[in-house]
Order: sequence, then C-alpha cells, then structure tokens
Amino acid sequence: MKKKFRMIHDENLCIGCQACSVACRSENDVPDNVFRMQVQIETKGVFPDLKMDMQRHSCVMCEDAPCVTVCPTGASFQTKDGLVQIDHRLCVSCKYCVVACPYDARFMNPITKNIEKCTFCYSNRVSKGLEPACVTVCPTDALVFGDISDMTSEVYKKAKECNLLYPKANLGTKPKVAFVPNKKGVSYE
Amino acid sequence: MNNVWGSMAQYDVINWPWPIAVYLFLAGASAGSIIIALLVKWNRHDKEVATIWDAMVKAGALISPLTIIIGLILLILDLGKPLSFYWLLISYNFESVMTLGVIALFLYTPLSLVFTALIFEDVIKKNALLSMLYPVVSYIKSYSKYAKKIEYVLFFLALIVGAYTGFLLSANMSIPMWNSPILPILFLASGISAGIAGNILVGMLFFKSSINKESIKYLLMLDLRVIMLEIPLLLLLFVGMFYAGGAAKVSAIQALSVGNWALVFWVGVIAVGLVSPVVIALTALKNHDYKVKFILFNSVVVLIGVILLRFYIVYAGQIFTGAL
Ligand code: SF4
Ligand code: SF4
Repeated sequence: MKKKFRMIHDENLCIGCQACSVACRSENDVPDNVFRMQVQIETKGVFPDLKMDMQRHSCVMCEDAPCVTVCPTGASFQTKDGLVQIDHRLCVSCKYCVVACPYDARFMNPITKNIEKCTFCYSNRVSKGLEPACVTVCPTDALVFGDISDMTSEVYKKAKECNLLYPKANLGTKPKVAFVPNKKGVSYE
Repeated sequence: MNNVWGSMAQYDVINWPWPIAVYLFLAGASAGSIIIALLVKWNRHDKEVATIWDAMVKAGALISPLTIIIGLILLILDLGKPLSFYWLLISYNFESVMTLGVIALFLYTPLSLVFTALIFEDVIKKNALLSMLYPVVSYIKSYSKYAKKIEYVLFFLALIVGAYTGFLLSANMSIPMWNSPILPILFLASGISAGIAGNILVGMLFFKSSINKESIKYLLMLDLRVIMLEIPLLLLLFVGMFYAGGAAKVSAIQALSVGNWALVFWVGVIAVGLVSPVVIALTALKNHDYKVKFILFNSVVVLIGVILLRFYIVYAGQIFTGAL
C-alpha cells in the first residue's frame, strides 16, 4: 500500500543542537559548506524579552512540487509514495529546480556537480524500513517521522496531539514536513 | 536570519549567472532579427524584384543563426554537467517550459540556417570553401515551392523563441520579479527591438550597396513603437509586484532602489536603452531624416539597453527575492 510519509519538527522540543544536520552530513556524504538540512536559529524580540526560534530548513517534499514541474528531463520526480527524488543520471544540472524551489532546499554539490537536497534518506534508509538519519539522532525527539496513514505510528499520534503548521502554506505546494510552532519565550501576538 | 549554525553560503548563490543573461539576450535578438527580416521581405517587397535580398533581410539571415548558436553554446557550458546535455534532447517533461523551449529551438535553429543558406545562395556557390555545401543548398531549393510556408513556420517559431525565455523565468514562483505574466511580452518586445537595431547595424556596416532607405525608415518607425510599448510594460511589471504585496512588494522596492542593480535599471535600461532612442528619434532623426551616424548610434544604445534589461532581470530577480 502507498505510504503517506510525514515529518514533524516540534520547535518547542528542539534545542538547536544540530545533531540532525551532522547526522545528515555523514549519512549522505554532504561536502563542506553546503547543507541538505540545517536548523536555523533566529533570535527575536528586544532584550530582555527575547525568544529563539529553531526552524528546520530543508526540502519539505511538496506534493505539488515546483521543482518537479520545471525539470526539463524528468530527473526530478516523485516516487509512488510521493517523495521527491533526483535521478542523477538524467540530471544535466541546469539548476532550473534550484531557482524554482520556494524553500531554498536545493544546491549543486560542488564536487560531483549533481543537484542535491534532503531525500528523507529514502534510498539509503527509509526504503529499508529505517528512519531518516536526522530523526534517529535527535536527542529530544523533536523530529518525528513515519507513515501517517498508519494509526499506530508515532507520527500519527504526534499529529493528533499537536497543532501542525506548514511552511509557506500560502504557496499551495502542500509540504510533507510540518512544524509545531515555538511557544516558548516572549510572545508578541 | 541570525545565529545560524553552519554556513549560509549556499543560499546566496546566483544560480543562473551571466551566461544565462547573455543567452536570453541572444535568443531574443535572434528571434527579433529573423522576425524583422521576414517582415521586411514580405511587406517591403511585394514584387519579386532584385532588391528582394536587401540589406535588412541579409542581416537578419546572418544574425539569427549566429546569435542563437552562440547562445545555445553558452547555455550548455553553463550546465553543471555540460557533457550530459543530450538528455535534454531525449528525455522530455512537457510540463516544463524548458522542455518546450528545447523543442522550439530544435526546430528553429536548423530552419534559421536553411533561411541563411537560401538568402546567401550565391555567396555559397562562389566561395571556395562554402561551395562544398552547395549540393545541400540546391537540394533545399528543390522544395522552393514551399518557401513561403516555411517562412511562416520560421516566423511563428521565432515568436515562440522570443517569448519562451520570458515564460522560462515567469514559471518560477519563488522569484517575484520573474513570476509575472508581463515578462514574456516584455522579452518578445525588447527582442524585436534588438532585432531591428542589430539588422540596421549589420546591414549598414556590411551590406551598404543593397541598403534600402525605405526599409530603414520603416524599421526605425517600428522600433520607436516597440520602445514606446516597452516603457508601459516595465511599469506594469513593477506595479504588479507592488500590488501583489508581501515579498513581491519588498522585492520591487529593493530592486528599484538598492545598490548597483537599481543603477543599472535607471541609467542603463531606462535612460540609455529606452529614453535616448526616443530622444534621438524626436530630434536628430525627425522628419525621417537619413543620417547614417545617428542611425548607427541609435542602434548601439538600443542594443545596450536590451542586454542590460536581461542582466538586470536575471540578477536583480535572484538577489532581491523579498525574503525577510
Ligand atoms: S521543498 Fe523544494 S526541492 Fe523539496 S519538493 Fe518542494 S520544491 Fe522540490
Ligand atoms: S538541475 Fe537536474 S533535476 Fe534540476 S531541473 Fe535541471 S535537470 Fe532537473
């Protein structure tokens, strides 16, 4: 059966330790100075009323993915589970997808010249029944991943108990990565 | 964003750098020059007289294949993996504007070469080296009863090539300055303007003997109209971004006011490229004077304006995305 993979980043549990980012680098052989994912830390407010927002920055696996639409060769494609992947054999590195992605998720690998991004570790882990590298190392369980159509899964439970938001929801790209917004620190609303 | 762990370098990269801007210019100029050559051929020479191959037609036949081929070479070299470019020709995604462009170019480029071969038939016949190609030319000529139809097809393809570069950019929802329906019309118009300027320049410099003053005047008039159209199109582009609000508004304000790219826009695109040709037309070339120096000067400023417009849109679009 088709799986409905979802990833949830709970910004209240995230401590900005970047273990996820380090795990991603070593799992996926990401060269220096480029990132498939990182947690960007934004300090908001005026001293002493400060708060820190931890925002995951990565491919969000759009259902209506602009990167797939623009790709001239079909190198950017969706698997039957709806995960956006790149076939490096077909990719000519025209960078159309890099400019088209509204989430700044793609980059050119400076060594291989291939276009890369977060893959949910699909080929190396998820397709083998494992979790993405970032999820396994998160010390506070701020990252939850799984098949949301499976009612026994962690991700299903998390989605039920939390109020999920989607990045740049107004664009209508229907991401599969959701976040639970930070409520800690000062509030300005 | 502050206090980020790691490097932000990858987010500031200009993913489509200068070769793309130059390509966009060359593709526009190529399409424009063949459009103009065909218009002159059709409208200015109803009767099949000797002057049919006048300088404008020859110039167009020369510029069009040359610019598009150079442009395509630049495009391929700019790929991260230039050697795998052949995938663009064998693996299609019909939703992608780039694929549609590849198909149009695949038909347009050889057809523009055929046009050149026919226009320069005599030159090819007489030249020691080129005469080797003559059998090909005469083979093509055996289909001459279709010539007019092929010209229509070429004209239509040129319109597509001239406009698709605008669609190529406008298909990006992530870049407000590109994500506008104005861009294809603007690029087609300014490409036609470049075609006129290029044809006049090359025609006057290389094919003086067959210059047809009436053609030149007709074209200068046409160029003035195209330029007058470009000004409101640019206005519309920014007004559209402004009223879209949010990131698009921020992007528009920054692109028009911050740093060197704002300077390029106001001085290069507006003052040099659009205002100065209008001024020249209203003063030096008034009453349809035929002053060679001013006509050449006019062509040069128009071309500079068109090139800078492409550079401005490509760079300012990628730099000022309105992201906070
Ligand atoms: S986030 Fe970007 S790279 Fe990922 S699927 Fe969406 S458009 Fe494509
Ligand atoms: S860079 Fe590769 S994956 Fe991206 S649009 Fe071009 S061919 Fe497709």
